[in-house]
Order: sequence, then C-alpha cells, then structure tokens
Amino acid sequence: METIPTEGKNSLIRRLWWLVLLIVAAIMAPFFISEFYLTILGEALIMSLLALSFNLLFGYMGQLSFGQAAFYGISGYTVAMLITKAHFNFWLSLAAGVIVAAVLGLIIGFFCVRLRGIYFSILTLAFGQLIYFVIYKWHDFTGGDDGIQGVYPPELLNSPINYYFFLLVVFILATFILWRIVNSPFGYTLKSMRENSERTEFLGISIARYQLIAFIIAAAYAGLAGALWAPFYRSMAPSALFWLKSAEPVNAAILGGPSLFFGPIFGMFIMTFFHAWVLAYTVFWAFIMGVLILIVIFFLPGGMLGFAQEKLKERRENRNNLAKGQK
Amino acid sequence: MSFDVLFNQFMSGIARAALLFLVASGLSLTFGVLRVLNFAHGSLYMLGAFLTYSIWKILLLPSVGFYIATLLASLIMAGIGLLIEFFLLRRIYSRGWPEQLLATYAIILLITDIVKWGWGGEFLSIPRPEPFTGAVSLFGFPFPSYNFFIILLGLALVVFLWWLVYKTRLGDIIRAAASDREMVSALGIPIPWLFTWIFVLGAFIAGMSGAVSAPFGAIRLGMDVEIIIECFAVVVIGGMGSLPGTLLGSFIIGEVYSFGIMYKPELALAFIFIVMAIVLIIRPWGIFGRPER
Repeated sequence: METIPTEGKNSLIRRLWWLVLLIVAAIMAPFFISEFYLTILGEALIMSLLALSFNLLFGYMGQLSFGQAAFYGISGYTVAMLITKAHFNFWLSLAAGVIVAAVLGLIIGFFCVRLRGIYFSILTLAFGQLIYFVIYKWHDFTGGDDGIQGVYPPELLNSPINYYFFLLVVFILATFILWRIVNSPFGYTLKSMRENSERTEFLGISIARYQLIAFIIAAAYAGLAGALWAPFYRSMAPSALFWLKSAEPVNAAILGGPSLFFGPIFGMFIMTFFHAWVLAYTVFWAFIMGVLILIVIFFLPGGMLGFAQEKLKERRENRNNLAKGQK
Repeated sequence: MSFDVLFNQFMSGIARAALLFLVASGLSLTFGVLRVLNFAHGSLYMLGAFLTYSIWKILLLPSVGFYIATLLASLIMAGIGLLIEFFLLRRIYSRGWPEQLLATYAIILLITDIVKWGWGGEFLSIPRPEPFTGAVSLFGFPFPSYNFFIILLGLALVVFLWWLVYKTRLGDIIRAAASDREMVSALGIPIPWLFTWIFVLGAFIAGMSGAVSAPFGAIRLGMDVEIIIECFAVVVIGGMGSLPGTLLGSFIIGEVYSFGIMYKPELALAFIFIVMAIVLIIRPWGIFGRPER
C-alpha cells in the first residue's frame, strides 16, 4: 500500500467514506440503543466473522463449505473449558481456541482440499457432523447435552458495553487483516483457482497447498468467532457445532452477496437483526430463510449487496452515456 | 466372539444396508440423470415418514393400514417432487452447481419448518405392521422379521431399477442422457420431461423409504439430515449415479455401521466418515463412478 500515489489515496478515502461512517456509528451505538439490541449487535459482529470465514472459501476460492461450525464450536468449547475447568487466563484461552480451530482446520482441510464442487461440500458437512457428534456424545468431557455454563470474561469486560467495544476492536482488526489477505497476491491466486483451476495449475501453482492455507485461515476465523462467542454468551452448547450453525454463514453470504468482500457481513447483520425482530411473531425462522434464499437465487443473483451495486453501476453508466450524448 | 453373534450383527447390517439403498438409490438416480445433487432428498424421506404416520392414524386399519399409508404417502411425495422440479429445479439446470445445491438446501429449510408446523417436535412411532410384528430366531438370536421386509423391499427395488435402467426403452434414454444430454435432445427426446419424471420417481422412492423406515425407529425432526449424510457416504463410496455403486456403497456403510455399533456405539458414525474420507481421497469419483469431465 505504500506505493499508492496521493491521488489514489484520495480516491480510496472517497470510496470508503461509508466505512468510516459505519465505524463511527458502531462506536456511538451503545449510547443510543437498548441493551437488548446491543447484544444483537454484538452477536452480529461475532457471526460476521464466521460469515467472512465461510466466504473466504466460497466467494474467493469457489468452495462451498457446510462445516464451518465445527471450527467455531471447537474453539468455543476450548475457551469455555479452559476458563471454567482449568481457570486459564482469558486472553490465553482465546488464543488457544483459535489455535485449536486452526489445527483442526489443518487436519480436516488436508482431506477436503483435494475435492471440488459438491464433493467438497459433502465432505465438509460430514466432518462437521462428525465433530458435532463427538462433542455431543462425549458427555464426561464436554458435558454433552448440558453444555458448559459460567464462562465469564475478566472483570474489565464483564459489562455488556465493555465487551461490545472489545468485540468491535477485534472485529475491525480481523476484518482489516482478512481484507489485506484477499487483496494480496495470495488472495488473487485463490480467485484465479476459482475462475480456472486448470490454468492456475499450469502456472505451476500447487492448488492443494494454496487451498489448504486458505482452509486453515478460514478455520482460524471461524475459531475466532467461536472464541469470542463463549464468554459473550457465558456458555457453550453442542448446537454451536450442529450443521444448522454451519448453514448460517452460508445463508448470510448468499443473501448479502458472496462476490463482494462486505457482502457476507451485510447479509449477517440483516439476518441477525431480522431474526431478533421476527422471533416475536413466529418460530418458523428456517422457512423464512428458505424462502429468502430461493428469492435471492431466482431474482437477485449476486445477493442483495451485489444486486444493489450492479444497479448503481448501471445507473452511473446510463448517466455517463446520457452526459456523453448531450455533449 | 462367536460366529452366531457376528452373523446376527451381519444380518442387522444387511437390513440397514437395504434401508440405505432404498433412500440412496433415489438420490443416485436423480443425480445420474439430472446432474443435480438433491440435498433435500432426506427431507422428502422425512416428510414421507410423517405423512405415513398421519395417514396410518386416520385409517385405523390394523392389518393393511400401514401398507396403504405407505403407498399414499409415496404418491403424495411424488406429487411434491413434481412441484419442486417444475417450479424450482427446472429454472436452474443451466446455472452453476452452487445455485443448484443452494436451491435444494433451501428446500430442506422449508420442509423442516413444514414438519415442525404440521407435527410439532415430538417423536412419533408406528408399530411394525402385520405379518412382520414378531421376530425370527437366527442361530438362537431374535431377529425382527420386519428387517426381512425391508431387505425384500430393497431387493425388489434393485431388481426394478435394474430392469428400468437396463431393460426398457426409458432406461436406454436415461443412460444416454446421463452420458450425453445434448445428443439425446437432438434425437427429439424431450429432456425436460425426462428430468421431471426422473425427479418424481426419485421423490416417490424417497417418500416410500421414509414410510417403511417409520416402524424401524422414531419419526422425528432431524432424521432428514442424518439420513442424507449417510446417503452421501453411500453414493460417494459407490460412485454418484451408479446403480451397482449404490448397492455396494449401501452394503459397506450398513455393515460398517452395524459392526461399528457393536465395537463402540459412540463412534459408529465416525467409522462411516473415515471409510468415506478414505474412498474420497483414493478414488474421488467412487468405486463405480466415472471422473467428471
């Protein structure tokens, strides 16, 4: 980024004004909204990390994972067990959660990255459910059905507002790092594999190795989300590893737009707030999600954000053409 | 461990394999022709089981009620399959695999809540129907005679599908369409309708397998994804779209599960996934499948 000329930097600021606005809004939010919505906002931040994790694989690499909850859950359980059973330091527990998720990503990824398309989806789903069943059935170690309660953050982060700001800082940092990753040569290599894996291979790039690295990064991001979740929610339950949890980032990315970096975050925010609101009226959330996904697939290809961007671009082009015509 | 224990476990594995074949054959047939992996196949199976329960309860016929319910539920599922193919899938054959996978995944979500809305979250059960209520003695061990019904039904389906695919004109078209869709279309065969009927047949088989699985265990939410993952294991091992592959895959998964449960019940599923992962790495297209492209 150092080599960017001043003009480019200006246009970068002009392009990203909305981002600055959003961050300011996020900092101001706790002083204006109720504690209930602050919790929802925190949840949206955490789940957005899971959505980013999924979309690194889907949007950038073209591999649809139905098993991200395994990494999310295993990390959450690591943090919860270290804090409640071993009385481990909070910060070290978070780090341990992310590392455990990344190591699991290395093991599962080793098998999965050899596969493409539906086969990749099937194997990630199978591995995800396998980890779920292990956690669920291993009652002596994980508490099984009962889950783990009493996962408290340290004194400093005990109040909802403080934990929210902690989440916000971690979220912005993590998102920025991922943004740098996908806009690095590494990120472009991932994209080229999505576009044409054969040609990429002919360039002498080891697809399996690149995909494995991306898989581990994605697992670490899912792990980060899980590690933040356990002290946020004060508990962990096996449902955090169930396949429906893996489906949440899938839904978010599809709704928001998997081809855009911010698409899954947008999708996850819409989903989380809509979910919180709609639960007062109906329990049939899955049905609503199913309908929404079908609508997006059939009528808004590219997701909401992708569709909006497309429309804006069309309008701008029309305006430009019009201006040219008048000259 | 004595022979009779092992044999008994082997026979349980065969019964499980037969049920798996019932479900997976529909999935494999649909994929073989349409080239769409129907993620919602397990949901059609689950809905079939719930429908069978309700019809059986309304009928209140002690001896034949279950069989009538099974037939009616299968037909209803065929109708639902028709709607799904006609209104949803038909529009996305030209799109990429992610859209196809996601569309069928959306159907899982819809059916999950339809079942929750219609039947609630309780576990339901149907008693084993006449004349398969008892057990037969296999080397001194009681073996539920209903398992023989499942095994016979599985064998009947094997024979029927083999006859359909290899001995009829429709079968010629199916096999031709599986290898070169455009050529078949150029010969004047209406591919869209072929696809519809194959999907309807797949949905019928899914509904029927859900119906006959009902007296096996509990009818409950979540049985859809459990069975679909095992079916994925079956078709992945055997080879997607291959009838003999599905048969072999069902046998392997059924036996691995059965002996896995005997060895360590908590890890039965793990054994299945390990077998699947090994096959996927050595032969990603399965034992009887063909590599794509």
